[in-house]
Amino acid sequence: MAKKFLLKLFVVVATLALVVAGCGNDDDDAAPEPAPAPATEAPEPEPAATEAPEPEPMATEAPMDDEVVAAFVFVGPVGDAGWTWAHDQGRRFAEEQTGATTLFVENVPEVAEDFRAVVVDFIENEGADVIFGTSFGYMDPMEELAGEYPDVVFEHASGFKMNDTNFGNFFGRMYQPRYLSGMAAGAMTETNQIGYVAAFPIPEVLRGINAFTLGAQRTNPDVEVHVNWTFTWFDPALEGDTASALLEAGADVIAMHQDSTAPGIAAQEAGARWVSYNSDMSAFAPDAYITAPVWNWGPYYARIIEAVGAGTYSPGAYWGGMDDEIVTLAPPADDVPAEVIDEVIEVWDQIVAGTWDVFTGPITDQDGNVVVAEGETMDDGAMLGMGFFVEGVVGSADPS
Amino acid sequence: MIRPVLARRERVVPATQAAGFVLGVVVALILGAILLWVSDHSPAEVYERMFDSAFKGTDSLSRTLERATPLALTGLSVAVAGSMGLWNIGAEGQMMAGAIVATGVAMMADGLSGPLLIALMMVSGVVGGMALMIGPALARSHLRVSEIITTLMLVYVAIRVVEWLETGPWKDPESFGFAVIEPVPEQAALPGLFGRANIGMLIALGLLLVFWLAVSRTAWGYELRLAGSSPDTARYAGVSLRRKVLTALLLSGGIAGLAGAVQLTGSAARLESGLSNGYGFAGIIVAALALMRPSGVAVVAFVFGAVQVGGQSIQTLGVSSAIADILQAMILFGALVAVVFFNYRIQWSGPGGGSSIAESGEPDLAGEVA
Repeated sequence: MAKKFLLKLFVVVATLALVVAGCGNDDDDAAPEPAPAPATEAPEPEPAATEAPEPEPMATEAPMDDEVVAAFVFVGPVGDAGWTWAHDQGRRFAEEQTGATTLFVENVPEVAEDFRAVVVDFIENEGADVIFGTSFGYMDPMEELAGEYPDVVFEHASGFKMNDTNFGNFFGRMYQPRYLSGMAAGAMTETNQIGYVAAFPIPEVLRGINAFTLGAQRTNPDVEVHVNWTFTWFDPALEGDTASALLEAGADVIAMHQDSTAPGIAAQEAGARWVSYNSDMSAFAPDAYITAPVWNWGPYYARIIEAVGAGTYSPGAYWGGMDDEIVTLAPPADDVPAEVIDEVIEVWDQIVAGTWDVFTGPITDQDGNVVVAEGETMDDGAMLGMGFFVEGVVGSADPS
Repeated sequence: MIRPVLARRERVVPATQAAGFVLGVVVALILGAILLWVSDHSPAEVYERMFDSAFKGTDSLSRTLERATPLALTGLSVAVAGSMGLWNIGAEGQMMAGAIVATGVAMMADGLSGPLLIALMMVSGVVGGMALMIGPALARSHLRVSEIITTLMLVYVAIRVVEWLETGPWKDPESFGFAVIEPVPEQAALPGLFGRANIGMLIALGLLLVFWLAVSRTAWGYELRLAGSSPDTARYAGVSLRRKVLTALLLSGGIAGLAGAVQLTGSAARLESGLSNGYGFAGIIVAALALMRPSGVAVVAFVFGAVQVGGQSIQTLGVSSAIADILQAMILFGALVAVVFFNYRIQWSGPGGGSSIAESGEPDLAGEVA
């Protein structure tokens, strides 16, 4: 593929060079003998450039009727190594698993016109049977489109709307691996100060910060988690700057709820450590990397595509946990102490077995109020609407 | 030293200019075909999809018109300031300001009937856009502070205000803690015309007509253009440059604010930080391509809308968003180059010779008596 690209690029550049050389020589009387040669040679490769050659069949070929076509709408670039990359890995897995044709468009803004344009094309021109929208901001147009195309299935990640026939939502209990990553981070900090680069003050992010903090406190009761808000999901420069600010203020471990690798690179440059998110990002800052709570969307996508193919789909509000493997913890760095890893595995087993979950009392908030009493466990409704920070978090859960 | 300068052509025939526009686009499409071929796509297939998605059938056409509507309004906004040599770079923020005020009004007056509420929201949009422009306009007219910088910086202020409203005071209590503002009342949705096109399009067209008449057929418009092209003459003729700068900028802000209200009630379901979607910045290109003339804005906005719809659509064929962006940029750039060369010619001049783009169009307020 790369070779072919370079070859074509060479043909174009060579053609242009010859044409330019030819033009130049026409004007230049003092040009030495070979002047006419390039001028006559020049036109030769040109038909190749203007005539559209048949490229090898693309992934978007008209599919057979009985085959499911699944289309994915991504908010970021698939090369972000984070959120969108993880969804794209899921897409690849599902394609391999089910044999369905999968299509995707990246960098689609969370705006009705943009989302609609892509989805309508997917349905009307590419015959899409199921649309996966992977960002919260697609929710309103998705609901509308689900009404307009009752024969197409719509599945929305991270939202709260659905209907009874063809529109469902899905998400994962990321707070579970967040807790485990907090346990590792708590054991690794020497200053007892962890910096957390956080996107938006919404329940999903607050839940993650609280779970991480509770996990860190389990291995290190003196730990503090300092939160700085960025008000963006993906802005490498700002994420890196925010991490640097937290490091300068005394943190020696950086955690994040962001989609880029920039906080890790900032941590590595400062000689600090890093808990990444979305995917195992160890390659980007190998010295800093500790572990990461990661997404594993593939099995869910495959299940939905199979249900659509079999005609058994019915929408739901799916919120899967580590028992379903939609969320998990990436392998830890070599220098995480063995006894910490053993403890992480022990808790992991309890979570998967359903004998214990993260938000089990006693839990107190920043002001010292008991939020969950000893022996009680927070229900899903309270977790989904979480609006407070637990004791040990430094920062405001309501910065506006 | 002899240097090339761009000199305005004395006579520009509209037909030649239109032909130049088309030529520029065609050249860009040929270059784009090479780009597509190099990146392993069939140019014929991609261009066919681009065209079909923007023009084929009423649904496609309505998608183009849906996008052309905010582009026409922001284009007009920039053009109104531009007709006297001022640059409103912040239409993006004024759109947001318009949408913010319109949302606030809708929250307070959600008991009103549809037409009344819509009218009120449109007016609020204008007020919001103007409010964000008051600072830059006064700073420009009285202190000669560049409006380019001030209007641009306020864009980010406006977007941050929306984020603050989303996460704080206006957070929808029924959104399970998610940071979203409640949807605009149902009766405030702009009535549709066909497909995705709504009456926002007619509002834009009406306003373009009004400004075309005002700029080209009234004494006010003549003074505006005079103040832009030759400030000294305008001053001798007794035109108050300060007042002209103020009106042009405030009108510009108001129109962009209206674009925000139209977008809010037309395409979006609620106020959100992505509402302006780059339309304000795109309006600068629209106005530049239209040579700051309201008559040209309508055509250019339509073409621009089609290019955006097409650019989005070809990505479902597997064209990467980067290639699609480059393709859109090439088409617009081709058109822009053609328009420039059909209105200006290259003149080789020594120091001080020739009149260039840079030397005209900047209203000089020095010496003006308040």
